[in-house]
Amino acid sequence: MTEKKSAHLFKVGEEFEPLEFVVTPELNQQYLYAEEDFHPRYIETTREGPPLVHPGILYNMSNNTRSPSFFMPSGWGEIHAGEETEFLNPARVGKKIRVTWKVLKTFEKKGRPWHVLDILIVDEDGIQIMKRKMTNTFASLTIRKQGE
Amino acid sequence: MGWINKDTPIGGEFAGKPKKMSWERLWTFSGGPFTAEGWPKKNLHTDTAFAKNLGLPTVGVSATQYLGHLTELMLDLFGEEWLRHGKMRDVKFVKLVADADVLTSKAKVISKEKVGSEMKVNLRLSVENQRGDEVLIGLATGFVAIV
Repeated sequence: MTEKKSAHLFKVGEEFEPLEFVVTPELNQQYLYAEEDFHPRYIETTREGPPLVHPGILYNMSNNTRSPSFFMPSGWGEIHAGEETEFLNPARVGKKIRVTWKVLKTFEKKGRPWHVLDILIVDEDGIQIMKRKMTNTFASLTIRKQGE
Repeated sequence: MGWINKDTPIGGEFAGKPKKMSWERLWTFSGGPFTAEGWPKKNLHTDTAFAKNLGLPTVGVSATQYLGHLTELMLDLFGEEWLRHGKMRDVKFVKLVADADVLTSKAKVISKEKVGSEMKVNLRLSVENQRGDEVLIGLATGFVAIV
């Protein structure tokens, strides 16, 4: 069995395993509650098609912690520190969504490892939904104690 | 159609409705799909012991949860077209958001520029907690029709 590689050890150019998921009406409505945003555009079918997917799902499901290959040892966690987002097209309920992640940049600051990830969200028709550049750092009790 | 139009002045300020980061909403956002075994999944956003094991004082609300709030405000300002052209940049999460914090998304028009038949509108973004501390700062760009 291959040992999983911790996310903070990924190098520039390496990719996390893509995630595919279908946004069902139930999943969409779960996030409407979480986001306290019950706008009809996320609930009702219109002439343009099924309801829109709430952007909160797209953000949350495109965190690299959602990748099937994401791993960190016990006592480690990833902290979202910065963000750039480009909205390209609305996503619609019922479509399969695919998320890909690639490490764009790595550096160290204040004794902590940092990553910038290139993230692309597309739907099953190949329509680009959203592009993100996500800046993360990594936390552990070990790093915290070293900094004290 | 959104709240911003070609006549919105530079300096114009907008805010979304305040939202309490209750445990129910944290678990619902960051605990995984309801149908997943063992819901809510334990992580630094949903479980105090997990967060403390990382050296954090308590759970940290997922930044994507209030990026979602901010996107709601952008849709109010620019309409659904935001989902086809909206950009957020230089967004930084500058302070830990804990459970029970109450967050308000804010935007201020900092410049405007005519581009073809549209007005490009640049905004300063922030999300503030109930003490008035900024927990997120950043910039955004959207477009509105001139005619």
